[in-house]
Amino acid sequence: MQKIEHKQVQETLFHEKLPNGLEVYILPKEGFAKTYATFTTKYGSIDNTFQVRGKEKVSVPDGIAHFLEHKMFEQESGEDVFQQFSRQGASANAFTSFTKTAYLFSCTENIAQNLTTLIDFVQSPYFTDENVEKEKGIIGQEIRMYEDNPDWRVYFGLIEAMYQNHPVKIDIAGTVESISKISKEMLYTCYHTFYHPSNMLLFVVGSIDPNQIMELIKSNQAAKSFEPQAEILRYFKEEPDEVAEKRKEIKLSVGISKCMFGFKESQQALGKTGIEMLKQDLATKIALEALLGSGSELYQALYDEGLIDEQFGFDYSLEQGYGHSLIGGDTPHPDKLLARIQSELPKLVQKGIVIEDFERIRKKRVGSALRSLNFPEWIANQFTGYRFNDIDLFQVIPILEQLTLEDVNSRMREHIHWDRFAISLVQPIN
Amino acid sequence: MTYSQFETISLGNLRVHVYSSPKFKTTTLSILIQQRLAPDVLTKTALLPNVMQRGTASYPSTLSLKRKLADLYGAILFGDVYKRGERHIIQFGLEIANEQYLQEKESLLQAGLSFLCNVLTEPQIENNGFVESYVNQEKTILKQKIESLRDDKIRYAAQRSMEEMCKNEPYALFNHGRLEDLPNIGAQNLYTYYQEVLNTCPIDIYCVGNVSSEEILQLLEKRLPTDFISASRNPIQITSTTPSVKDVKVVVDRMDVKQGKLNMGCRTHITASDPEYPALIMYNGILGGFPHSKLFTNVREKASLAYYASSSIESHKGLLTIQSGIEIGNYEKAVAIIKEQLEAMKQGQLSENEINQTKATISNQFREQQDRPYDLINFHFHSLLSGTHRSLSDMLEQIKGVRKEDIQKVAEKVQLDTIYFLRDQGGDPHAKD
Repeated sequence: MQKIEHKQVQETLFHEKLPNGLEVYILPKEGFAKTYATFTTKYGSIDNTFQVRGKEKVSVPDGIAHFLEHKMFEQESGEDVFQQFSRQGASANAFTSFTKTAYLFSCTENIAQNLTTLIDFVQSPYFTDENVEKEKGIIGQEIRMYEDNPDWRVYFGLIEAMYQNHPVKIDIAGTVESISKISKEMLYTCYHTFYHPSNMLLFVVGSIDPNQIMELIKSNQAAKSFEPQAEILRYFKEEPDEVAEKRKEIKLSVGISKCMFGFKESQQALGKTGIEMLKQDLATKIALEALLGSGSELYQALYDEGLIDEQFGFDYSLEQGYGHSLIGGDTPHPDKLLARIQSELPKLVQKGIVIEDFERIRKKRVGSALRSLNFPEWIANQFTGYRFNDIDLFQVIPILEQLTLEDVNSRMREHIHWDRFAISLVQPIN
Repeated sequence: MTYSQFETISLGNLRVHVYSSPKFKTTTLSILIQQRLAPDVLTKTALLPNVMQRGTASYPSTLSLKRKLADLYGAILFGDVYKRGERHIIQFGLEIANEQYLQEKESLLQAGLSFLCNVLTEPQIENNGFVESYVNQEKTILKQKIESLRDDKIRYAAQRSMEEMCKNEPYALFNHGRLEDLPNIGAQNLYTYYQEVLNTCPIDIYCVGNVSSEEILQLLEKRLPTDFISASRNPIQITSTTPSVKDVKVVVDRMDVKQGKLNMGCRTHITASDPEYPALIMYNGILGGFPHSKLFTNVREKASLAYYASSSIESHKGLLTIQSGIEIGNYEKAVAIIKEQLEAMKQGQLSENEINQTKATISNQFREQQDRPYDLINFHFHSLLSGTHRSLSDMLEQIKGVRKEDIQKVAEKVQLDTIYFLRDQGGDPHAKD
């Protein structure tokens, strides 16, 4: 077991890669009541065409990764695994994103039992025709709920506007139509491809003894046998630099318009991993904050003009195959807001970010990275997401300290490009 | 296991509560002001925290204020209003990094606390009032906030069902206020109101982090005006009536929606001040607090009618609400299944397993609260408002002691009051829904 100390933030991380390929990370948190664990596969909604080297290439219906996540809670005993977690005083859950599926629990007692339950249920699928059918009604209602959610619709509308081919444009839950085609055989195919230990990461954080926890995980895994698995090949259609649609608009029963816009990364800016990818991620976020963050002149002007409220914000998402910024919020006058953005941003980009703004925002980002370490959930999820891209979460503060104003200015000029700009609007009916 | 506690110290007529723990990498400061929940002050109360965050004597422009926060390693300032029974609470919070984890020598706690005191007691003023442009802008933002309630259908249905259920009771009021009050609020009258709130309403100040109470007290004494510290403050009078239910009300709202939102409101006639409160928490947990609960198992898992089906309690007014998102055509079916669950609770159809699972998960939830500064503060403030001063260990002990008959006694008190349904525009608008 490898011990990695992070002196400045006073955290010690333990790591081991098991013989079956599973990556295990343990972060003891002294004084915490809670232990939180995530068991995550590098498999999300975008992985819809794939092949295990040497086997057949398959394409699966939209929404299947998320469907599979729901069905994992079913057990051969007929009892939902939630019942068992409850008996052991744990709160369990799962989520599916574009690139990963995570199973998790948090508890304050019975840590060993809960951890064993987590690993065992994720490693013993049980799908029947009947339980697959039953889930379609439940997920159908989950899809309906999102259809009525304007924040989700404006967000997803923007992703759809940006991408022409990449499967990130497909809703994570799929559609009522696409999930109707899912069968237990397809679920097993996806399961056996992506839930092999060599494609997964287990993260445990809390008031724990790292040696004991590692021993428990190792003996649990040693008692199970897994065929060695060849490399997983994932296929994505080529994505042009241009956005699919410049502007996407829908009407819903809302009291105020929602406006979201952003820039898609060019193919040239994608494909990085590790430190280079982290630098791109952090530099882009600093640039966006300098341009549009709550301490920027533009933000304050738009606020004073009544075009935005305090929820106006931005985010940046970067994966190996896609990347984009998302900016926006509620506005009574979306077209006025967009006109202001389209006239002000080019000037600001040309002028460049000044050193005082850069230093202040860097400080803010360091403080925010430090604050995040108060939250075990955040640590586990963020660490895993980064790790799948060969990034170390604990490098965030050191890299922030290394970034220069030139890095951020040149990143800003690379990212802000109007051919790759798209807009999504949700407007009130009438 | 013993649990750390807040140390409470009086500072004049203010109460200061400090929780010292080295486990957090930040220090969290929070100021909680109580006001009565009443139509004449509602919207002014809702507007205050937003105006107060626009500028202070030391940082008069919003931009300078925001930039100061960023300079303090991205300290987070927030202000909001919420309801606790028939009290309206204004909360300010400031979370700031602890410099011992940074390459920083300056005391961030001192800077952060000064900043927060500034926001509270020294807002930027002009002509004996708040800055007029700030007030006008914040009125517009608040108007939008009230109008956008309908955007989030889950929240909208929750608020509408409470409005209908508690018609003619203060609890029906929306925490963000009413549109009709906005035209009468101006920079001067809001400032007068601010002074009244500041100098007469009960105020609690919380601090959680790697700090000592002496240090906090010293800093506060130095930073807060003496007349503010010594101002006399009157407890908020609650005229809490929980009428007994005669007929179940049915209310249907229509909007352009794909999914129906079903909210069923009950009166529990039990509040956090009552000895039956732990049994009520157990009742709610078994009914709909968890994935093992009756609602989740029966509405979702067995009948496949919903993605979410749960219940929650309002502890100061004595209410319980059930919420679920369903296919519009399944309304009757869902209502019937939910009523069956309420009936099963009354009939004492509670297995040993359900009771044990619920005790385990509720205790876990309470213990987990110790890891989040704001949860610690909320738990303490909640027990303070209830007048019981239940500590975490008291609560855990009491939950452990709840017996099946106690839960059944709660079930006998719980009365379904209102069935609210938000549905689409389709179907016959005159039909009985």
